[in-house]
Amino acid sequence: MVRRDYLVKKIGWSFLTIAFVLVLNFFLFRILPGDPTTSIAKDPRLTAEAREALARRFGLDKPVFLNLEGGNPFDSQFFIYFGRLFRGDLGTSFNFNRPVADLLGERLWNTVILVMGGQVLAIVLGSTLGLLAAWKSKTGFDAAAITFSLAAWSLPTFWLGILLLIIGSTYLGLPTAGRETVGVEFTSWWAQALDLGKHLLLPTLTFTIVLLGEYMLIMRSSVLEILSEDYILTAKAKGMSHFQILRHHALQNAMLPIVTLIALNLGFTVSGAIQVETVFSWPGLGSMIFEAVRRQDYPVLQGAFLLVAVSVILANLAADLVYGALDPRVKAP
Amino acid sequence: MRAKTWARLIPLLVVLTLLATACGGPTPEPESAVVLRVGMSGFPDSRNPGNAYLTEATDLLELVYDSLVTIDFAGAYHPQLAETWTVSDDGLTWTFTIHGDATWSDGQPVTAEDVAFSLLAYRDWEDFGYWSGYATHFADAQATDPTTVVLTLDTPIGNLESQLLYTFILPKHIWEPFAGDLDAALAFDNAEMVGSGAFRLEEYQEGEFYRLAARDDHYLTPPIVDEVIFQRYSNQDALVQALRAGEVDMITELPNTVVASLRDEADITVASGSSRGLRDYIFNLSSPDTCPVDDGGICAGHPALRDPVVRRAMATAIDKQQIIDVALLGLGSPGIGLVPVALGDFFAGELEDYPFDIAGANQMLDEAGYLDTDGDGLRECPATMDCGGRQLDIVMQIPSDIGSGPREAELLSGWWAQIGIRMTPQVLEPDTVTANCCPAFDFDMLMWGWTSDPDPSFILSVLTSAEIPTGLSETGYNNPEYDRLFDEQGVELDPARRVQIVHDMQRMMLDDLAYIIPYYEDEVQAFRSDRFTGWPLPAEGSGDILYLQDPLSLTVVSPVE
Repeated sequence: MVRRDYLVKKIGWSFLTIAFVLVLNFFLFRILPGDPTTSIAKDPRLTAEAREALARRFGLDKPVFLNLEGGNPFDSQFFIYFGRLFRGDLGTSFNFNRPVADLLGERLWNTVILVMGGQVLAIVLGSTLGLLAAWKSKTGFDAAAITFSLAAWSLPTFWLGILLLIIGSTYLGLPTAGRETVGVEFTSWWAQALDLGKHLLLPTLTFTIVLLGEYMLIMRSSVLEILSEDYILTAKAKGMSHFQILRHHALQNAMLPIVTLIALNLGFTVSGAIQVETVFSWPGLGSMIFEAVRRQDYPVLQGAFLLVAVSVILANLAADLVYGALDPRVKAP
Repeated sequence: MRAKTWARLIPLLVVLTLLATACGGPTPEPESAVVLRVGMSGFPDSRNPGNAYLTEATDLLELVYDSLVTIDFAGAYHPQLAETWTVSDDGLTWTFTIHGDATWSDGQPVTAEDVAFSLLAYRDWEDFGYWSGYATHFADAQATDPTTVVLTLDTPIGNLESQLLYTFILPKHIWEPFAGDLDAALAFDNAEMVGSGAFRLEEYQEGEFYRLAARDDHYLTPPIVDEVIFQRYSNQDALVQALRAGEVDMITELPNTVVASLRDEADITVASGSSRGLRDYIFNLSSPDTCPVDDGGICAGHPALRDPVVRRAMATAIDKQQIIDVALLGLGSPGIGLVPVALGDFFAGELEDYPFDIAGANQMLDEAGYLDTDGDGLRECPATMDCGGRQLDIVMQIPSDIGSGPREAELLSGWWAQIGIRMTPQVLEPDTVTANCCPAFDFDMLMWGWTSDPDPSFILSVLTSAEIPTGLSETGYNNPEYDRLFDEQGVELDPARRVQIVHDMQRMMLDDLAYIIPYYEDEVQAFRSDRFTGWPLPAEGSGDILYLQDPLSLTVVSPVE
């Protein structure tokens, strides 16, 4: 049971942070150098009149913060941005000339499939490996597990991705890009699912390997610390088996740092896959962000930043709440 | 002991299970249709021509829409939707006869009405992508019968074919509601892309892929393949690997660094040919009297660069072949002027470039009075000039998206240091370079590039004085004689005479050196020779264009038996 004032405080702070991010997000893209119409126009041969028309279409002819030229003082880019935001309108992409919300929506699901798969695998494998390494501490297994985890954690994502891509496509015939084999009529839903699985395998594996090391190392040190506590000695003295001690006494306490890590990583789900998605041309948010940076597509970046910020804040809120449930000390006033 | 073995096996088992599910099981049904797969690293920005600016979008437009005329890889024009045409003696009235059996991809016939509608629609929209610019001088277009269109111009145009090339003919029954209303025309998503081209759009997934079906009923060039799929790779290494693994049959681009290793692969052909792209080193020639102050001109260039002797000395101290070998790994040809070798007859191959000669360059500067009086290795302006005593110390701004920029700049700095000129490269965000460039003229030198149209008119226009206030002129070059020749070539109806004028203009460029053109880039593409055959490849040294994703290529390739 989580205390009510703890809950209210945490939720309140989250909303305040989101509001701050909304404002910051607006100004961030307006202090960048250069005229946004240059990047919308794309065509250097554009006439001055056409440039003005473009600025009008994207609302860039209005004052940034307050309209002091008479008329409605709130007729400015800032208030129009907020007005639209509340209606779920994130603006129009310079590059694709389509609503940003639609573009993000199309890609969010792809990213979630990829990142969730990778996360779950990394959490399960990493924590299990960490637990086993701590249990068998100072053995050959422990040393091998640490070496593997450190290596996996320090591998550059894009490099590992390209390596797996080359090996996977050369020796296993796995696809090198995209989410499905284009132009194939699938005879059944499972044929389609299998095709998706093939496309998912390498990016998921890359993602898993990169994340796994971190989970393993933190789990191992956390379990080792707990195994040195007095109550574990007591448990041993009562004649409990290794497995019973791990399961009933060590695991729950050792999970605390892992919960924090999971929440942090989940928050970055939507953006965390930029490198993996770019290497495997996975049509998710990450590759869209990468493309938007290259094309200076500010509305898309603005929308993506917002989505990332909100999900990080919500994931942290979730971590705080789970923490409260797991650790009685947190609930104490 | 048992537990230990188990623990070791867990990760291995998980990976093996994953691999088994992915690799085992039945694969999707084999396709009976002949599908050509193309890998590319970009993606069209729009299906609506009015919002389409990227080359990938132009590629798609050309496959789906036909124009009145088309151009081959050697730069010669051929009939497409127009079967024949005649022009009046004054060059103002053009009469086109349209193919009677052409149809739109939705089954309706293509008529002269559609053609007349399109020609005027582009003109009336005024800013419909790049394309309205080609229709500015269309005075009227009338369909006089179902297969005849009469186009009248308000001034004779010497290169009308080149303007019609990019006037994609649109179906009137789809686009009529947007006639004369630019905003409505730009808001149209054009998802179906109903066109008269050799391919029909079947499927389009933004940023991922698009699928084209061959139109067997095409009046002129029915393709041999059944389908073409263009798939986007967001990473060039993956793109090359996809070709190696046989996942795609052709890739539209590849980094120069992999060319050597790809050439060794048995079933892969690396093809190269000319492109219309060029690199340029830009001098700021704007002076206080020509500065477009009203348009934001700052005109802060080093005054010594306005002296043609200095520019000639700098051009003489450049070894263009070495730049090509180092920066492009040999995949380019030395440049002379703004008209690239790929423009065929228009390229002035007879011109002699400045030979690489450091001693000669030093001598030029000595004779002009630019001496190193204080012995610090840098020359100074002669006292007689308004920059008297100022060192020849300049900055070259380089947009960060030119990958080979820093390497080129390093070579240039080395050579110019040997003639007493210090050049400091400054890599900047492309937007910042655009802002400093023109019409602000807030730089000494810039490194940039152009891609020419098949016709030289546009690329020649960037040196005219009329373009100084518009920002199209990057140099501030102002030569009334050049302006006069530019106007003359625009209305010259005799092709041979026009070519001569264009050559004269290139001679002027080489003499005046507003730009140094180090090289024309080669186009390098690769395909699986075990899958499709018949790709039109340029003959060695022909200067012809290589463009494997062009309708000219995709309609003639056939599967290897």
